[in-house]
Amino acid sequence: MLKIFQDFLKSLWPEFYRHRTNVHLNSFYTFTNYRYLWFISISVLAATALAPICIATLIYYQLIETSVDSDLNHRTKQLTVAAKSAVTFFMEERLNALTFTVNENGYEQLTDNTRLAEILKNLKLGFGGVTDLSVLDADGNQVAYAGPFNLEGKNYKNQSWFEQSLKQINYISEVFTGYRDVPHIIITVRSVKPDGSSFILRATLDTERLMQTLSSYKTGDYADIFLVNHEGKLQTPSIHYGAIFTPTNLIFPAGSDESEVIEIFLNGKSIISGHSSISRDLTSTPFTLMVLKEKAGMLKFWQDMSFKFNWIMGASVVVILIVITFASTFMVNKLYRADKAKAETMMQMEQSQQLASIGQLAAGVAHEINNPLAVINQTAGYMKDLFSFKDQERDDDEIVEYIDSILDAVDRCGTITRQLLGFVRQFDVKIKKVNLQKLISQVLSFHKKEAEYRRIHVTVSIPDSFPELETDSSKFQQVLVNLINNAFQAVEEGNCLDIIASQLSPNTIELVIHDTGCGIPEENLKKIHEPFFSTKKNGSGTGLGLSITYGLVKKLGGRISVQSTEGVGTSFTIHLPVKINEGRNA
Amino acid sequence: MQHTDILIIDDEIKFADMLAKRIELRGRSNAVCYDGKSALEWVKSHAHGITLILLDLRLPDLYGTEVLVGIKEINPAIPVIILTGHGTEKDRLECERLGAYRFIHKPPKIDELMSIFEHIRERSEC
Repeated sequence: MLKIFQDFLKSLWPEFYRHRTNVHLNSFYTFTNYRYLWFISISVLAATALAPICIATLIYYQLIETSVDSDLNHRTKQLTVAAKSAVTFFMEERLNALTFTVNENGYEQLTDNTRLAEILKNLKLGFGGVTDLSVLDADGNQVAYAGPFNLEGKNYKNQSWFEQSLKQINYISEVFTGYRDVPHIIITVRSVKPDGSSFILRATLDTERLMQTLSSYKTGDYADIFLVNHEGKLQTPSIHYGAIFTPTNLIFPAGSDESEVIEIFLNGKSIISGHSSISRDLTSTPFTLMVLKEKAGMLKFWQDMSFKFNWIMGASVVVILIVITFASTFMVNKLYRADKAKAETMMQMEQSQQLASIGQLAAGVAHEINNPLAVINQTAGYMKDLFSFKDQERDDDEIVEYIDSILDAVDRCGTITRQLLGFVRQFDVKIKKVNLQKLISQVLSFHKKEAEYRRIHVTVSIPDSFPELETDSSKFQQVLVNLINNAFQAVEEGNCLDIIASQLSPNTIELVIHDTGCGIPEENLKKIHEPFFSTKKNGSGTGLGLSITYGLVKKLGGRISVQSTEGVGTSFTIHLPVKINEGRNA
Repeated sequence: MQHTDILIIDDEIKFADMLAKRIELRGRSNAVCYDGKSALEWVKSHAHGITLILLDLRLPDLYGTEVLVGIKEINPAIPVIILTGHGTEKDRLECERLGAYRFIHKPPKIDELMSIFEHIRERSEC
């Protein structure tokens, strides 16, 4: 269990991050920059996973904002309408009561102070908010008075409200302080005396009652409900604008009965403002009802929710990123390990193929060396025979001849071993100048006897102007050994093997190895450079020769192609740069 | 027609000559052919005067097996020892199938060759 956990942790550790290996092994990796791969993987996965979340969040916020705005407007409007009804009802109720009083009692009774005081008492009981009552004649003289102030005998002829009262059947004044220095509203009802002249019943309304009515509609700390007159002067105190009678810029045309909601900015705050004129059927009032709601306050619930939502989103994004990072690390690690194993196998394969090439060479060398050894054996044996059968002299010419023969044969063996050593040593050397003619004749020298016995006509055609190649000689050598070995295996007795080199451009050469051997069937032609593909029976071939050759030519910065017709022959064509680009093929 | 004890067929001239001299020293007549075709000619003309043939597998003109088949066609009774520098197990089986008497790797031991020869001669005389 612990081991599984350890393995799991190990698979999440970015092992590839410190990917360093030798240059030779590196060339077998499919991917070189694992950090980049990792980065790309994380970026693509993160973009794919997070983009929908971000878009959904944006859409969500936009929808919330729109719906909250419309909800706020709607609620403000509802509140405006409700408060307006209440204020209108407040006014109408009192006005109707006054009208009823006038109609019921008539001028005579109303001018009776005792009766008037009784009516005032009833009005206070029934409706409240009525401070005093008075009856005025058409000249503005106060004829009767009931109330707490001693205002009897006063003349109101020059007061603007009196002029208005005479013109209309009933009238509602703005809030003003008048003689008493207390804010109040005057409502009047005009009627006719028995003699035909007009008289006015006036009631003073306490604004306290009105303000209470307005206050009852305040919901929460962020609402502000108050009245202004048509000049914008406050008629009741406002949270935002201050005390009563403060002038404001809230000026709305009179007469519109509709409630309207707009958004305004006040002291840097966004405020939803609803307003409506207070009007009645018969007469309009000077009041406009204002409902102000601070948007921020109203939005508080939504903001709290958004805050929670953001937290959840942020946490989700972090979790997603962690999961993506781990998943990417896991995948890239897997890929890296597979690639590493592949690269190591490929390198081993190349090495074993190189050994196989050398093995093939060694077989050729053994063949070459065996004949002179047989000669030495027989000559030495004969010399021994001479002594034992003939008892011949030491300085006999024949003996000298045989010794020379032995020496000659030993020389032949020496030449062959030197060739092999020189050839095999080149496998170690990296980039150096290569004389193609020399290299080809070295490779062919190991096939000399075979060519002779099997009567294979080998021709090598290299123009005099052919340049010296500057390339990885060991790889190039292996390519030649592989292809020439292959050709020798493909040809029958009496066939031809042509090696033709030419220079295509200042930095490109072409080498064609053509044989008139058995050829490769078309169905195999596509597979010959696949690893482990072999047509040799009994496992005598590894199936790696051509696959490795393809890889080697690629590493030398060249390309290789094959044309073959079954029964006619095969041509391997290699294009190579004259000078290898080290950086690319290190 | 003169009788030939041993016919050597090998393209490695010095080897063949030296072997011939050593056989001669041991009192046995012999002849040497350096290629397959001339060897077959020689066998044809001496079809019944050869005790033993030593044959190399690699010859410049014909395969050793071809020469072996040729010899067996001329006179299947002549024993043929295959003398090869690098014959494989497969070659050995093939040669035995074609009727080779022995399959010996180069370099051969002269005494072994001579004892085989003596054995054949004694048997043919019986």
